Amino acid sequence: MIKNNSIVSSFKKRLASLEDYTLLVVDILKNITSYKTSWSNTIQEMYSVGPQALLLIIIGGLFAGVILATEGGHNLVTFGAITVIGRTVTLGMIRELGPIIAGLLLASRTGAKNTSEIGAMQLSEQIDALRAFGLSPTKKLVIPRVVSALVMFLPLTLIADISGIIGGVFISHLTFHVDLAYLINSVMQCIKLKDLFVGCIKPVFFSFFISSISCYYGLSTSGGTTELGKKAINSVVMSSAVVLGLDVIFTKVIWEVL
Amino acid sequence: MIELENISLALTGRTILDDVSLFIEKGTTSVILGPSGAGKSTILKVILGLLKPDKGSVIIEGRNIVDENGNDALDVRRKIGMVFQANALFDSLTVEQNAAYFLKESRNKTPREINTIVEEVLSFVNLSGTNKLYPDQLSGGMKKRLAIARALAVDPKIILFDEPTTGLDPINTKAVLNLIKSLKSRGTTSVIVTHILNDAIAIGDVLTVINDGKVTASGNLKDILNTKDQFIKDFFYEVFEDASFFVNNKKE
Ligand SMILES: Nc1ncnc2c1ncn2[C@@H]1O[C@H](COP(=O)(O)OP(=O)(O)OP(=O)(O)O)[C@@H](O)[C@H]1O
Ligand SMILES: [Mg+2]
Repeated sequence: MIKNNSIVSSFKKRLASLEDYTLLVVDILKNITSYKTSWSNTIQEMYSVGPQALLLIIIGGLFAGVILATEGGHNLVTFGAITVIGRTVTLGMIRELGPIIAGLLLASRTGAKNTSEIGAMQLSEQIDALRAFGLSPTKKLVIPRVVSALVMFLPLTLIADISGIIGGVFISHLTFHVDLAYLINSVMQCIKLKDLFVGCIKPVFFSFFISSISCYYGLSTSGGTTELGKKAINSVVMSSAVVLGLDVIFTKVIWEVL
Repeated sequence: MIELENISLALTGRTILDDVSLFIEKGTTSVILGPSGAGKSTILKVILGLLKPDKGSVIIEGRNIVDENGNDALDVRRKIGMVFQANALFDSLTVEQNAAYFLKESRNKTPREINTIVEEVLSFVNLSGTNKLYPDQLSGGMKKRLAIARALAVDPKIILFDEPTTGLDPINTKAVLNLIKSLKSRGTTSVIVTHILNDAIAIGDVLTVINDGKVTASGNLKDILNTKDQFIKDFFYEVFEDASFFVNNKKE
């Protein structure tokens, strides 16, 4: 009985936080243009979300491409189909691995950053200070973060794609001795508009959900530092799960529809 | 000027404020006294509109702000400055950016005017020359004074102080209390929350004692010491003998 009650109350809590998150999303969408009034803030956020994550993204993408080429290459060799390795790596990176690697890396990086920054501001009453003056934390803190993620995630994902493809091409050449010119040619030939569309639509959605979820967790922080730690964990876990879940949905829907 | 009428508030199922009524007259310095956890900060948050009471009304300059939503009450809210218990300074901004923050947000001053005001309030709280420092480079007393400067910058009609002297040395305490006193001569209405008796007695025109979410006594020191409540006796034990001696002597 007691156990049952605690399940019910924890379910209710989750439902309530889903409701709060939905309200935040509505608030974000209604006021999205307010980033103009906090330009310098938005630019600062863009810098820390984008350029500062560059190295991480290049390395992440590169490793993903190397792994894809190595695993794929050995299998293709057994079927005598090593000539399609360029195509496999390219489409694999652009459609799936690039967005997912960039999404997961940015979910942890940007997610942890947003939650801990906003959570610490919440704990030290800085957010109350804004609200007491009639300023909206959504406009002042959340929207600059959402906008900078929306702007930065797509180029970062494309950079992950490119560094993955470069890594894959070199592995294919060095390990499986495929002609470099042929590889480059097949990379260029195989990219279709549809693939680019799939690869580009994902990061747009990832960026919105990662930034809004992590800001939500930050804003909902109360109590002390332990609570903030828990919120940061939950934020990264939830953002990563949403990235994976959205990816499944996109892949499924896009294969069915397009 | 500020009137709380029968405010009740429960958070996570616990009653925090229980039928609290309070009247703060224009131009006075009111002190809300009480032990830790009594609900003092909560009262200030209700006045600011950060917490919505379950029952009762908050009337500021004749308007009940409980029923108005955030933006409607904006012009009333911006007349109130708040010095938070933990200062709530923006730690990513410098001293001068902190002091200028709300001025910039009100969007009715030129950058030059803002600069002048910032210099003025910083020198008023004796922080001139620290403009480019960050809050974490300041001492506790300096942070408190910066928090006061930030609140003063927008020239509020009413200013709320949450434990302005807690954790300060006697010199800083005296400085802060003198600041609060000098606000009175400017005509500002001040509400000070504290659990430090001496400070309360030193600056308060009206004292309100709260305990466990309820108002136990209210009035000047004499009125309060005349209450026969046991809690008042315990809470005022430090000054009780001295003060009652003083009060009795005055009578004769
Ligand atoms: N967000 C909250 N949720 C639940 N309970 C709360 C919350 N904020 C405060 N309380 C409770 O309300 C009571 C009053 O808190 P408040 O901060 O107003 O006390 P206080 O009189 O300012 O104390 P102190 O002198 O220690 O600052 C405390 O018992 C506290 O546990
Ligand atoms: Mg308090």
